[in-house]
Amino acid sequence: MKKTKKLKRIFLLLFTFCSVLLSNAQQKAIQGIVTDQDSGESLPGVNVIVKGTSIGASTDFEGGYSLNISQENAVLVFSYLGYITKEIPVGANTTINAVLVEDVAALDQVVVVGYGARKKSDITGSVSSVKSEEINAFPVLDAQQALQGRAAGVAVQSNNGGEPGTPISVTIRGNTSIGASSAALVVVDGFVGASYPQASDIASVEILKDASATAIYGSRGANGVILVTTKKGKKGKMTVEFNTSYSLQSTSNRLDLLDANEFNRYQTAINPSYQAGTASTDWQDLIYRSGQVANHQLSFSGGSDNVNYYISGNYFDQEGVVINSGFERFSFLSNVDAQINDKLKIGFNVFGGRDNKDGVSTQADSGGRGSGDVISIAYRFAPDLGVTDANGQNTFNSVGDDIDNPFAVATERVDETKTDRYRANFYGEYDVLKHLTFKTTFGFSSRNENRGIFAPSTLLTTAGAQGGIASISSLNNTSVLNENYLTYKNKIGEGDFTALLGYSYQKDRTERFSAGSQGFVTNNVSFFNLGSGSVRSIPRSNLSEFEIQSQFARINYDYDNKYLLTLTGRRDGASNFSENNKYAFFPSGALGWKVSNEAFLEDSDVISNLKLRYSYGLTGNPSIAPFQSLANFQPIYSAVGDQPVNAVLPNQLANPDLKWETSYQSNFGLDLGFINNRISLSLDVYNIRTEDLILGDSSVPEYIGFLNNESLRNVGEITNKGVEISLTTRNIANTDFSWTTDFNWSRNRNKITKLINGQDIFLSSAPGHFLQGETHVLREGEAVGQFFGYEYRGVYQGGALPEGTATFEGAEAGDELFEDLDGSGDITTADRRIIGDPNQDWTFGLNNTFRYKDFDLGVFFQGGIGGDIFSYTFLELASGGSNATTEVLNAWTANNTNTNVPSAKVRERRISSRFVYDGSYVRLKNIALGYNLPERLTSKLGVDQLRLALSGQNLFTITDYPGADPEVSYRSSGSQNSNVNQGFDYGNYPNIESVTFSVNLRF
Amino acid sequence: MKNYIYISVLALFSIQACSDLEETPVSLIPTEGFFNSVIDVQTTINGAYGNMAEEAFWGRKLSLPLMLRSDMVGIGDVGTSSRRIDHDNFTVTSDNGMITAFWPRIHQIIAAANLAIAGAGSLDVAPEQVNPVVAQAYFVRAYSYFHMVRLFGDVPYLDTPITNLEDARTVVKIPEEEVYSNIIRDLEFAKQWLPNTQEVSGLPSKATAMSYLALVYLTMENYQEAYQEAKAVIDNESTFGISLASDFAELFDAPNQSNLNEVLFSIDFNGFRSGNFGQDFTPALTGIRANEVGGIGGGWSVAVPSIEVFNRWDGRDYRKRVSLDTTGVFSGQVDTFENFPTYDARNIASAYIAKYTRSPGRTSNGNGRGSEHNYAQMRYAEVLLIAAEALNEVNPGTTEADAYVNRVRARARNQAGVLSNFPEDVSGLSQSEFRTMVLEERRWELAFEFKRWYDIKRRRLGDDAFGPNGFEQRPNFTASRDYLLPLPNDELQRNPNLLPNNTGY
Repeated sequence: MKKTKKLKRIFLLLFTFCSVLLSNAQQKAIQGIVTDQDSGESLPGVNVIVKGTSIGASTDFEGGYSLNISQENAVLVFSYLGYITKEIPVGANTTINAVLVEDVAALDQVVVVGYGARKKSDITGSVSSVKSEEINAFPVLDAQQALQGRAAGVAVQSNNGGEPGTPISVTIRGNTSIGASSAALVVVDGFVGASYPQASDIASVEILKDASATAIYGSRGANGVILVTTKKGKKGKMTVEFNTSYSLQSTSNRLDLLDANEFNRYQTAINPSYQAGTASTDWQDLIYRSGQVANHQLSFSGGSDNVNYYISGNYFDQEGVVINSGFERFSFLSNVDAQINDKLKIGFNVFGGRDNKDGVSTQADSGGRGSGDVISIAYRFAPDLGVTDANGQNTFNSVGDDIDNPFAVATERVDETKTDRYRANFYGEYDVLKHLTFKTTFGFSSRNENRGIFAPSTLLTTAGAQGGIASISSLNNTSVLNENYLTYKNKIGEGDFTALLGYSYQKDRTERFSAGSQGFVTNNVSFFNLGSGSVRSIPRSNLSEFEIQSQFARINYDYDNKYLLTLTGRRDGASNFSENNKYAFFPSGALGWKVSNEAFLEDSDVISNLKLRYSYGLTGNPSIAPFQSLANFQPIYSAVGDQPVNAVLPNQLANPDLKWETSYQSNFGLDLGFINNRISLSLDVYNIRTEDLILGDSSVPEYIGFLNNESLRNVGEITNKGVEISLTTRNIANTDFSWTTDFNWSRNRNKITKLINGQDIFLSSAPGHFLQGETHVLREGEAVGQFFGYEYRGVYQGGALPEGTATFEGAEAGDELFEDLDGSGDITTADRRIIGDPNQDWTFGLNNTFRYKDFDLGVFFQGGIGGDIFSYTFLELASGGSNATTEVLNAWTANNTNTNVPSAKVRERRISSRFVYDGSYVRLKNIALGYNLPERLTSKLGVDQLRLALSGQNLFTITDYPGADPEVSYRSSGSQNSNVNQGFDYGNYPNIESVTFSVNLRF
Repeated sequence: MKNYIYISVLALFSIQACSDLEETPVSLIPTEGFFNSVIDVQTTINGAYGNMAEEAFWGRKLSLPLMLRSDMVGIGDVGTSSRRIDHDNFTVTSDNGMITAFWPRIHQIIAAANLAIAGAGSLDVAPEQVNPVVAQAYFVRAYSYFHMVRLFGDVPYLDTPITNLEDARTVVKIPEEEVYSNIIRDLEFAKQWLPNTQEVSGLPSKATAMSYLALVYLTMENYQEAYQEAKAVIDNESTFGISLASDFAELFDAPNQSNLNEVLFSIDFNGFRSGNFGQDFTPALTGIRANEVGGIGGGWSVAVPSIEVFNRWDGRDYRKRVSLDTTGVFSGQVDTFENFPTYDARNIASAYIAKYTRSPGRTSNGNGRGSEHNYAQMRYAEVLLIAAEALNEVNPGTTEADAYVNRVRARARNQAGVLSNFPEDVSGLSQSEFRTMVLEERRWELAFEFKRWYDIKRRRLGDDAFGPNGFEQRPNFTASRDYLLPLPNDELQRNPNLLPNNTGY
């Protein structure tokens, strides 16, 4: 205690001394308070500078400042991020209070960038921001869903239609990889690789798209970076917000299938001895229902001089539109920041949540015996059968593969996933010197996932295995992150100089375990008594971990508020990188020119903003899985004499030269504002060349005998070139009525430019029971994922073949006719070619917001044009061994020859252009009508704000695609080659349309 | 103030020393330092056995074509994939999906054997300790190349583990005769070092190596050597602990196969699987659709004997009843094969293979997928028939040769202790009558056991077998082409030194 007092005295002494020194120069002391115009609250941290000098101060917590000036005719410049800079001449005053106005033109809004924040007008890279209101326009479980259509160049895809809790993938500026992921890196409040917080807790989302913005994330930046910032408390009284919404949902579309009578006629045409069933069942009706979503959020926020807080709890409960599917989530978030003294600030951020997912089987890998998903088997299953037969047993399909009826699968198979997620992130920020700040963060996140599956013996899956099959699998992921960085900010000459230097260390560890059992005494045990099964399956466990340590730096120099320079670099070292390539360096540079600040435009009434940007840089995709470059043996299952024994096989050779994939990105951007920024336009043109793509070298002969035969090599190249336009117009801006339009449009051209020895890579995404090898191809000169198959040319009418066509050997009239590419007279595998391209030509989002007094109306369209879809669903339904679409009512017969539909027959499920469709669509993603209770009412109620809203999602879609929904995603996540499986439709959980009523209350 | 900067900078970069970024893959098995004891050699050989019981080898991809190419089994469900149909119809092309699947798999089996042999060589252990184990690897390599040489003729031959990819890219094919002499060299080593008996049929014994030598010589038409090797097995049957199972049906009763002394080498499935390892599809491929027998949900009607098999097989032969299903149960009612198609359009009106579907044991998946079958690659009955066939070529008309066949026939007359009088003993046949008889005996005794195609090839029987009077009419069969398969086309592109492909492809 005594010691501090002594220190204080010394400081006091020093201070007095300094004051004396300064006061010698004939100075005048000025003081004042800076406040916000809207709220009237004081603004801490505002820069107050005497114009033309480096003399300045910044406001304290009370918004107060004081400084001494010696100049005559001095002008004070008040600047604050997100506010319009204000200049006030001092004159004779000694007290100058400033009222700052928030910059509605959003040009000077603060944009979070990696390891810092910048004014939007100072950004040299390509960055899109999505506002909190857009993210919360309608209730979503995963905030990523809300990004769809909101930012140019950002593709958002549900990996399974409207399935509750389905993973969402976000791709920025196209597919930059083949074997590795093309998914963007997600950073939440500085935590790299975090999971999303609840949408309602998000303050803003920034999408970093070009190398200038992403190179600071080095080897993980190539696919773009999404920075998520959660809400924080503001100084002032405590604000309580309660948001609640309730949605009613239904399937957006169903397929037009044969009814029982039509089905009987169809099957009898195929097989005259078909024995018709007696029931009449619409299986889609049986497995679909109307779903509902309830979403509630309660948050408390506020702050005192030194501490601010934001605490929120959230509950989300969804009953899916497929019976027995649902999702439930509890989550909480707490953000606390404390200014310990005028130099030290600390903060603590905690996020936690529990998910319960009730799954039904969808998007099955195979629909062979007993293994189909409820969606595809609802299409396939005979409509002349009921749920149970005369003996009360579940029915099995009477044609085609022996599959369970969909109702039995949906109701009897249990698939539950529980996921716990926690994340804690601490930071300390210390002003080492006037211009130098040190920040350290320490974060920990964990995800525990437990999945249990049980199929009782009443289902076909378990026939022959008596008493059901059960399994449990668990995944435990932890990630530790420590980052330390120095930020130096000062004026150098006419310019603002900012430098950043930092170090980061992250360790990620994933443990997996699974066990299973079958042959239970009863069907009531579920998966919680594996030991009681008579036959146990092989338990598995696995550990995967990686470390990454990095140094990073950035320099910003803004000269005269006209010329901007950004230089960025990051050096990453990662354990999963191979022995000879442990460290990677990713530099980038960017220039900006604020043309509108030049003298010749400064006073223009028309052009209020014009900025040109150019950036070039390198970013990486780590693409090497942990341990992937090491030589190893693969342990395999082997039974000798019926007893399991230890067994290994040579798996792969060491690959000491394997390295990350590198993207060379250039971006040219133009930001333009007209008429006081009532019209603002951003245009970006980019070119991304990704080299060193890791490909399995299929040129390695298979006789070398390694299990993983295709040794990986950094060979491939892909380019993505594109244009993005974002346009915001404030068409009408009166006090009572306003109309704002946000439009974004983007087009990306993806092209594979190099493969190993120029050789095509053929891939298959067909469901296993289709027994089809190649379905799509990677080929030099083409975009990724081209469909590959036969060109359908209608129905063979018998007799001579039309010119250039042929059939498979032994075909008869009514069979399929294909294009005979090699002119051999027969259709063979040599007659296949590219038959479709799943890549969209362009995508757009269009949002119109109308405000009339207390009412507002938002109409949000979103669409993608030009992408093809290959429908395995229609291929399967046309192959005879199942129910069919009503198309077959027009099948070829001797009396009905003028048709494109081949005769009713059991057919091989061949990949042909007959099942390629245009997947273009435009969709009314959301329409929302809101009403804010006027103040006279809210004040009576004693609340600050009360808002009621009614909205509809996916209410209509314009598309020529005849399938259930044009947003398809079969095998586009989780499975092998998922990155290049695009545009395939099979067994998708149906997309949903919904009507939502919501109440937002603030007091 | 400066101190703070120093502290900050220090803090920044002090942490940097904390990781060397080396990977410690505890969940992986590194190759370096793997071989420390004989046990590690056995573990590697077990990898080869496990890989045989894999979908792309004996689970389906090799075993199914061997069935379909014979005159005993054809395609049932015509809607099945063309890569299967092409083997039955002899319309195989060099991109056939069955071949491209088993080609890498058989080489992985060979690579495991090569690795075990090299690993054994790196151990500092007396030959008496390690050779009886590593001799299994020699056997495995011989077994694998014996398939290869019969399927493809000239093949690339590798007998050391690959360490340098670039050297391995350019190897050339070696002539058939050289492959055979390498096979014999390996089998001689196996014969020298393998123990007289093994506890389970999944491991080869000395008798296994000798039996395979006999079959290899028989295939090379070196009948003298074939006879001698087979006779040496027969003469020492008590030393080797081998005998014929008393009842033919026991051989296909999956849960009880491990007690049989007749099987000299088998690929073992035990009802468990991990991915495609341990995944047996033969019961599913050969089963009758919609058949309720066994409660496994029937089969897929893919590999089905032509009706001629039923028509020409003497009805008095007990083996016919064990080998063929002529009835099924549908909706609780027994019905005969003429009506099979009415229960599922993909069935055909023919007797189905019963050997693998009647008693598949506990099965980890429907249709008998993942059965408990141990697939005999060599059984004592075949050794007896090899001896008889070879002796007849060297020295026709012996009672010794008759006796070998009659042992097999005697067992065939025993149905659970009740003896029938068919098939009768043979005696007094001419050399050519005997030759025909013993090949027919192999057809029935070893029916659907993946042997017949190799017999057709070895004896050049194709034109008869697939001609107008054959069991199957396959007009597309071309003797100059179809006794060999094409090497996979993509492999020829990877290494053009393997060109040209076999005649006709």
